Formats: sequence, structure tokens, C-alpha cells
Amino acid sequence: METNKSFEPKILAFLCNWCAYAGADLAGVSRLQYPPTIRSIRVMCSGRVDPVYITDGLKSGFDSVFVSG
Amino acid sequence: MELIQYLLDLSGIGRNRLQLRWVSAAEGQLFAKYVTEVSEITQKLGPFDADKFELPLAAVEQTLNSARIRWLLGLIKQVTEQGNVYNEKFKKEDYKKMLHQAAQEEYQKALIMRVLEERPLSVREMAEKTGLAVYTVSLRLNELERQNQAGLQKYSGNTPIFMGM
Repeated sequence: METNKSFEPKILAFLCNWCAYAGADLAGVSRLQYPPTIRSIRVMCSGRVDPVYITDGLKSGFDSVFVSG
Repeated sequence: MELIQYLLDLSGIGRNRLQLRWVSAAEGQLFAKYVTEVSEITQKLGPFDADKFELPLAAVEQTLNSARIRWLLGLIKQVTEQGNVYNEKFKKEDYKKMLHQAAQEEYQKALIMRVLEERPLSVREMAEKTGLAVYTVSLRLNELERQNQAGLQKYSGNTPIFMGM
């Protein structure tokens, strides 16, 4: 079992293609450090994210869901 | 978004499991900051045990998919900004309150439906399994019966046993 201190969360991220995804790209290009905890899914708009996706994400074992647009 | 956070609170999962942030394409730095922030929040919350929350999650999902909630969500703009067919306009807060009330009822109904799917139960057993009050269960069960989604199966002694339909 992992102890709570070494616990690395798994976060499901829905990123808008035009905003946050490009922002994430920029963060990558400019070599900004951020934790490797997110698993991102690119959506064409953050309005595309149905509430049910969030419950589905939690159900399939993610620790939290992050929607960004 | 506001509604699903409310439902996550209601189901004991906690609204912090869902985070919403606005980042523009030119804000790489902000994005990195937000990811760090969200990771920290999640770290504080600890791992999420999906098995433990299976019932509430399924009920939240069913609530979000229910016709009543879908309709209410779809009508927000029209009813609060233009008015309904009688030209009555509702205040945003009033509408929100009503939406929460409806969501809570639908959530409780969904919980009951879920536990009835396993096997027929008495009201007391349902209350125990769902964690709802006995009175709440009987109210919601009444509504479910009216909608033909649940019904009386048999009597065991004097206790009525209900089943899902």
C-alpha cells in the first residue's frame, strides 16, 4: 500500500482545444514545470464535457476531475 | 457544473473532486500553476475509492440523466431571462433553489431504484442501505410507485416488500 505522503494523485483533465490545451502546449514548449499528475483529454470545447463524463471518470479510478477551458 | 458539484456534495464525494479553471491559449504559466494547485488539492483529499462510492456515483449519474433534471437545466436561460409561457420570469436564485430541490429528490429516487435493482426490499431495509431517513424513503417510494417505477411485491408478515419495475 502507498502511504499518503507518496500518494500521487491521478487527475483526469478535460482541456479545451482552443484554450487550455494550447496553454498546456505552451507550458510544455516553454519548459514550465508542473506535476505529472494529469491525464489529459482534448475536447473541442469545454462545453462539450457532459456531467456524466465526470462521474464516469471518478468511477474508472481517477482521484479527481479537472475541467479547463 | 454548479449542479454536479452540489450533487457530489450531496453524495458525500465532495465538490473538491471536480475542479474548473479558465486558461487562455497564451497562458502556459497559469496552466502550470493550476495543475499544481489541483494536484495539491487532490493530494490533500487522498485517493478516491471508487468501490466505496459505487452506489452514490451511480445514483448521481442517473440523476444527471433523468428527464426532469435535463429539462430543468435546459430551461434555465429561457425561464430566468425571457420568462415562461405565462410570461413569468423567475429569479436566478429561486430557480437554483428549485433545481437543487429537484436534484435532491431525483438523487434519492435514484438511490432507491439502485438498491431495489439488487432485490426487493422493505422500506426499513432501503433506508438502511441508502442511508436516507425512513420517512424520506417512503415519500420517494410513493412517487416511484406513481410513476410505475416501483411497486409492491408481497407482504412478509405485516411488512410490505417493494420491488423495482
